[in-house]
Amino acid sequence: MSFALNEIEATAKRATRGAGYDWGLAEDASKAVRWLCAQGLDGAGALAALLSLGFAADLLCHRPRSLGGAWRGEEALCPLTTGAALSDCASQLAQAPIQMGPVAQPLLVLSFAAMAARRLKGCVTVTAEGFSAVTDGAAIQITGDLPDSTADLQVAAGGVLEAPRSGQSRAEPDAAAWDTLNQFAHKTYAPATEQSRLLGAGAGLSDND
Amino acid sequence: METTAQTTISRRDPGQVMRLDRLGSLHQCRLSFMRVLTRRMARENWSFARPKFDIDANGVGVAVYTATGPARTYSLVAFAHDLPPEMRSDRVIATAWDATFTLFDGIPTGDDIERLSQNVPHQEAGRVNEKSLSVSRANRSVRLWAHFVDALSQGRQPDPEQVDAVGYLMRTTAVYGSGKLGAADREAIADRPELNAPFQAEMLSVFLTRAFVRDLVEHMARAKGGDQAVRLAPETAKRLGIGNSTGLGMAPYIVNHPVLFNNWIMAREEAIARVRSVETASEAEVACFRRMLRRSELSVARWRSEHPVQIDKLADLNADLEALSARVAAEDLIGDHPWDRLVRWSETALTLEGQELVASLILEPYSELVDGLSDCMADANKDAFLIDGAMPVAQVRDLIATSFAWAFDLDWEARENCARAWYVSEEKLEPRMGERFEEPIAPYEQPLAPARDAAAAHAALADWDGAAPIAEFLLRHPEHRHTVRRAQMTQVAPYGEIRDNTISDRVLPIDMLRAKLAFFGATHFDPRSDRWVRICMYSGAPYPEELSPDTADLWVYPEVDQ
Repeated sequence: MSFALNEIEATAKRATRGAGYDWGLAEDASKAVRWLCAQGLDGAGALAALLSLGFAADLLCHRPRSLGGAWRGEEALCPLTTGAALSDCASQLAQAPIQMGPVAQPLLVLSFAAMAARRLKGCVTVTAEGFSAVTDGAAIQITGDLPDSTADLQVAAGGVLEAPRSGQSRAEPDAAAWDTLNQFAHKTYAPATEQSRLLGAGAGLSDND
Repeated sequence: METTAQTTISRRDPGQVMRLDRLGSLHQCRLSFMRVLTRRMARENWSFARPKFDIDANGVGVAVYTATGPARTYSLVAFAHDLPPEMRSDRVIATAWDATFTLFDGIPTGDDIERLSQNVPHQEAGRVNEKSLSVSRANRSVRLWAHFVDALSQGRQPDPEQVDAVGYLMRTTAVYGSGKLGAADREAIADRPELNAPFQAEMLSVFLTRAFVRDLVEHMARAKGGDQAVRLAPETAKRLGIGNSTGLGMAPYIVNHPVLFNNWIMAREEAIARVRSVETASEAEVACFRRMLRRSELSVARWRSEHPVQIDKLADLNADLEALSARVAAEDLIGDHPWDRLVRWSETALTLEGQELVASLILEPYSELVDGLSDCMADANKDAFLIDGAMPVAQVRDLIATSFAWAFDLDWEARENCARAWYVSEEKLEPRMGERFEEPIAPYEQPLAPARDAAAAHAALADWDGAAPIAEFLLRHPEHRHTVRRAQMTQVAPYGEIRDNTISDRVLPIDMLRAKLAFFGATHFDPRSDRWVRICMYSGAPYPEELSPDTADLWVYPEVDQ
């Protein structure tokens, strides 16, 4: 089914929150997934796979221990915490490339590299074994394939965008991935009670007159 | 923004403007989205047509209304239904309505209409595609609808008192845009000049809906009365607006879109500052102000509400209008920054309702200073979302304090200060507000308490080295990420944060609803509880065939008999 990118974004935000991430990271995740979908990449699938790993229960183990040197975690890095840090550290990226890994669902890191590119107002290049991508923040070109589990990445300022992918205004996420996201999103919804039905939405004077 | 206007008086401070009680007293003005739309359509000489009106004697069928501007045509596709009375509800949990609509991008083919007829009547249970720019529904005012059909079918005009008592024949209960239910994203249409200002597609949808409702009631009267039936008198038709029931779902919107909401407020504040900076007003400008004041008095006189809060506010506003009339009768309003003097006087002599009415009314004589600001009200700054991780902790602390220093000393554990929690219900994915200490909702709380979260983030930052980059803090404290983002946004959006507690035991969500609806251009706010409100849209406006530069702008003020 064809979805509006706003639907993708809204569902990704709720799903990330439902999987146990804080709201701020859920906001970043939703923008990241939307951006990937706008490039015709499977952002919904990557987020669904990531959330199913359950990193949020022990997020401190899945973030870079330090923002100096190569970014390593106790365990595989979460692409949301790591990606958000990458976007935050855009100015650091202008000084020197950042090595990071291993990163789970590394596709998601690409959209944070794009956020860094927007902050730097220039291109950012992401490379891994057999893979390279260049983004100017608005579009991306990709050579090779990213593994869908983990990868060691190098992110550097610079690069030339020669053959960007064509942009998409709609998304058609894989049905199973979309279902997974909606299951996580569902965890953010409070079960309805008769009291909430009456009070929560503010029934008052008659609405049928 | 335009750079030509000179302002010697600065904009009002966000600390003054962004209080909930003041936001809950806002009135429409020249920058309201309905007026922006009708002015543009008149200026560009838009044409309108009704290529389809297939509705049977029971009021069931489909109609299409088109609006054609310089570059594109938009079509309201309206489905009319025969709704059993027991199914009629304004609540978002309703599943059937008297009429359902979509604003279609272009002119729909027969196949499009067939596809839409399978989906639009089901609203949330249906799907549309990117050819739809909005999806909406409306219910009849039962008492007024029956009265109109009866009267017109018997060759009589409806009773004016009943018209005034209700104000509309149908009220919309939701107008969805921007990607909802599969419709086109805002981003896909935002670069069209005619849709760039906020909510223009939705406002166009309602403008055309009003014409459909008038046509439908005349059609039903003809079906009932045959040759005896008469058409609705134009002056009565003009009085009718489209009602709207707005519930809690809209309140979080202004918290969730701080840059957009800032742009609305800042455009109006800039307009107010420009007009206050006018040194000397001309006779014509003063005459315009006086006319609009008289017409406002009539509008307020027609404003009814049964809600105790609004009844008190209306009493205040009526007293304010008396004081204001006396004040402006006693002076010529010409020299020595007359509008600034009036605003400063209002701050000492009037309630918030009256102060904000004055602030809106002084803009009326100054289209050339004000109207261009409507181009600044959309949110085109998507990069405001991006966090600058290099910013020193001390600067983030300062930014948080600018909006929320008042919240730092509040006891956020005290029940009265966190009595409420905003959540989304499983049942209809409907935003609701509940009692934190009486319902099991806290685990589902939405991030709609920026003041509380700001106080927590500020406390967490207290022990950090002021020179450290905020990225280091965020790596360890992702729970404060949304607050740091908002704090940085205030650098470009000084009016982005409500300077009040949105979860206190005294919070009135209707204040947030009114602020938003006032920017739409709504009038006659009628709260039906502390969390939903009825309004009237386009009352007094020309119908599509009557729209011209002469009728396009001041319609919101009822005309005073000479």
